[in-house]
Amino acid sequence: MPFVTLPREKTTAGFTAAVLFGSLFAGLCAVGIVFLAYGVNPFYAIYEIFRSSFGSAFGFKETITKAVPLIFIGSGLALAYKAKFWNIGAESQLLWGAIIATWIGLNWGPHLPGFVVIPLMFLGGFIGGGLWGVIPAVFKVKFGINEVISTLMLNYVAAELVKYLVVGPWKGTTKYGYPYTDDLPDHALLNLLHHTRISVPLVIFAVLVALFLCFVVYRTRFGYEVRVIGENPEAGKYAGIDFFKTTVLMMAVSGGVAGIAGVGELLTIHKHLSYPETISAGYGFTAIIVAWLGRLNPGFAILSGLFFAGIIVGGDAIQISMGLPSATVNVFNGLILVFLIMGDFLLSHRVVYKRRAN
Amino acid sequence: MKKLQTLLLAALMLCVSVSLFAGGGQDTVEKDSETVKAGFIYIGPAGDFGWTYAHDQGRLYVEEKFPWLETVIVESVPEGDAVRFIDRLVQEQKCDIVFTTSFGYMDDSVAAAEKYPEVQFYHCSGYKRAANLGTYMGDMYQIYYLNGLIAGAVSESNKIGYVAAFPIPELFRHMNAFALGIKEVNPEATVSVKWIYSWYGPDQAREAAEALVAEGCDVLAFTEDTPAVIEVAQEHMEKGKTVYAMSHYSPMQVYGEDAAITGQLTDWGILYEQILMDYKDGKTGDLTDYDLLYLLKEEAVELGADYDNKINPKYVDMLKSTMVEDKDFGTINVYDLVMKRYDQMVQGRDVFDPFVGPIYDQAGTMQIADGEMASIGHLFSDMMYQIDNFVTPLPQQ
Repeated sequence: MPFVTLPREKTTAGFTAAVLFGSLFAGLCAVGIVFLAYGVNPFYAIYEIFRSSFGSAFGFKETITKAVPLIFIGSGLALAYKAKFWNIGAESQLLWGAIIATWIGLNWGPHLPGFVVIPLMFLGGFIGGGLWGVIPAVFKVKFGINEVISTLMLNYVAAELVKYLVVGPWKGTTKYGYPYTDDLPDHALLNLLHHTRISVPLVIFAVLVALFLCFVVYRTRFGYEVRVIGENPEAGKYAGIDFFKTTVLMMAVSGGVAGIAGVGELLTIHKHLSYPETISAGYGFTAIIVAWLGRLNPGFAILSGLFFAGIIVGGDAIQISMGLPSATVNVFNGLILVFLIMGDFLLSHRVVYKRRAN
Repeated sequence: MKKLQTLLLAALMLCVSVSLFAGGGQDTVEKDSETVKAGFIYIGPAGDFGWTYAHDQGRLYVEEKFPWLETVIVESVPEGDAVRFIDRLVQEQKCDIVFTTSFGYMDDSVAAAEKYPEVQFYHCSGYKRAANLGTYMGDMYQIYYLNGLIAGAVSESNKIGYVAAFPIPELFRHMNAFALGIKEVNPEATVSVKWIYSWYGPDQAREAAEALVAEGCDVLAFTEDTPAVIEVAQEHMEKGKTVYAMSHYSPMQVYGEDAAITGQLTDWGILYEQILMDYKDGKTGDLTDYDLLYLLKEEAVELGADYDNKINPKYVDMLKSTMVEDKDFGTINVYDLVMKRYDQMVQGRDVFDPFVGPIYDQAGTMQIADGEMASIGHLFSDMMYQIDNFVTPLPQQ
């Protein structure tokens, strides 16, 4: 092999940015090839994706709607990924948020005013998602179990639990036997902007959470410890960082905000618990790319969340107007992630051409 | 460094947005006043070979038939997320009619009908209606009953398996009709159910089918949107073990040349044709009472594993020589029995319906009284039980 890779010690901001945009561009080119294979003009298709998500009024409203859960989850994932804790389980942490909130809403909702029950649901959702996030954290620190596997598998456990609840003990009495819980009481739902599915306080909440996590990561002792664990665990040990405490707390927060995303979806879109794939629509996975595009900075998750929300919404549009299959959006997201991760490799490694020594 | 990143990301967003706004004015699709545009919202991929595929075949049929009709589709729309697709169909595509083709879209359809009073919505399989929201449904419980007659007659092990999607009235209606057919010709036979909790789950369906075969079932029927169960039966056939299966929803004969004796087919085209003609004729001013329920009589459903044969020709002779005792026809071969019941049901529910009491559930409770015919309401919303020849319990309630 004439090429060797060496670790890169230093990167400049300009280089980082160049690699980021280079990766995005390369990803878009790859997507373009897919469009071409479908006989669609790739420039027009990509243009159409962004036009219909950011360039039209009602498309933009939907982009905001989709961005909210992505920002919540993406910023939480960024926190975990800072510690190189690969949380693939945001999907199930979201579901736990929705489960707890549904229980609170159905059982306490009828007896409490909205301004009490809604915060309670968010709190409960945070705790539910957080506890579910803590499980793999404990597994990893105490037993050395790979968190990629445990978080991924716990997704299925939570999804099956939701299915069990909606076809079993929680099945609604007003749903004609279909597997949904009853609707939450109206006063326990968030008020939406007219003819949209946007709750303004929820959008503000999402942005604040992301900014707060950004502050935590870069400006607090806890955030510092999280970063040390991720970048140099050996040094962390010598510095006396309590790995157990930090990892558990970090995953409680990471899972907790995913739980909040679940509560938000429940209180703005669904109004009742139903199939897991309906409640989540894959946000837990899309948010992985969101965190990555935001360079694992929780604050940037706001922008990258908006970006990927736009791609989801734009994907619908090209499906309708160009007759592309609905899987197009998944291909789009997957390719972009692959190229972002490849770009990341370039940021941490130098590729050097090595002449053969004679 | 962080600042620069922020700036660059912001710049990216800005570039994108500007280029998009600059290209404005293409928001809407032009169409002349004669053309009627219909949008279809599908729950699965149009190529699922089940529910969505059948609806798409119906759409292609009407599009071919009516030169004034233009259609657009959007597939794999999650329940609870139909609103944004409806918005796009109405605002950008200027659809005059939107068909929402899954029960889970009901609340979104109601909301959309309120939001766009000038557009007509038709929701498949729901029960909420409004001035501009009608409902339609084609149901094949009668076909399941006919399938059951055959299943009961050909089973050697007297164990019949069912791979089921979700425990909802639709499933119980179909499973019970199937089991009533079995019971009519073979009171000894029992039905085992495996729930897979998925409409589209070829892997789970395959696993469930294998498990049922392992438990001794030699006839399988199912509700799932792929031919997985048929394929399992065919594989066993090729290995020399007799396992029959009933094709579901689409013509799946090709997946089980030997295994599929018959099956259920639907033709949504008939329903779409009716609705669109009513629309064109101006009969759809007020949809509050517009509720089409098409059965065998209206030709919305058909018996068969493909459109050419009601019964797989390989098995016609076998069925003609299989004699059964029937409460109405005495000793009769099962082929003739199926055809006689078919002819009765084509004439309408009042001539013959499998759901005539006494019908008992597993717990022994009489659900349909002696001599009484189940109401549509009972069949379509109250039926949450399995009749008395099921051996597997109801899923956890």
